[in-house]
Amino acid sequence: MAKEKTRIQNQIKTLRFHQGEMTQQDLADQIGVTRQTVNAIEGGKYSPSLEVAFRIAQVFGKPLDEVFQYVVVTK
Amino acid sequence: MTSFEERSAWVQLVSLVTVLGGYFVVAGIMMSRGVQELIAYTPLFVAGVILLIIVLALGHIVAVFYGKPERHDERDRLIGWRADSNASRVLEGGVLIGITGMVFSIDSVWIAHLLLLSLLLREIVKLSMQLVYYRRGV
Repeated sequence: MAKEKTRIQNQIKTLRFHQGEMTQQDLADQIGVTRQTVNAIEGGKYSPSLEVAFRIAQVFGKPLDEVFQYVVVTK
Repeated sequence: MTSFEERSAWVQLVSLVTVLGGYFVVAGIMMSRGVQELIAYTPLFVAGVILLIIVLALGHIVAVFYGKPERHDERDRLIGWRADSNASRVLEGGVLIGITGMVFSIDSVWIAHLLLLSLLLREIVKLSMQLVYYRRGV
């Protein structure tokens, strides 16, 4: 069986916007990573550790699956 | 703007390629002229290392000018580990070729430079991979 292609997508940019237009730097400071790492997570270039993912969800007061989604890529 | 880690990787890459690359050009000329005593290369090597330290220090001062260093986070560590792991193959290859050269009694000056070149190439591959991971994702 062919392996399905998957990726992790996220709603961080939207959630930041709804959180009083929080900047990437503000979020980075709250979760203890650099702004460049927040930018890479938002852009799907880096999948964070579970701990950082939970910290991000905690900042927005949302469950983890409202922030990150594990999706099958359809062609 | 790029992170300090990324700027630092650029500084190290450019410094290593220019300074130690320069060393290998001069050492290569010496070897081609038949200089076989390893001790003859020592002053050149010491000068290269001192110059490398100076260039690295100056480069990092410039890098700090464009933004203060942040602390390492999990992404920096993952990028470092992956690049290090992949680049270690270069050093392994160099050591194996070096041992093979010793079996066939190749001059120590060639073996020493092969091992040194392996170290340099390993660092170049590591830093290049770090820069790719920073740009394209990890």
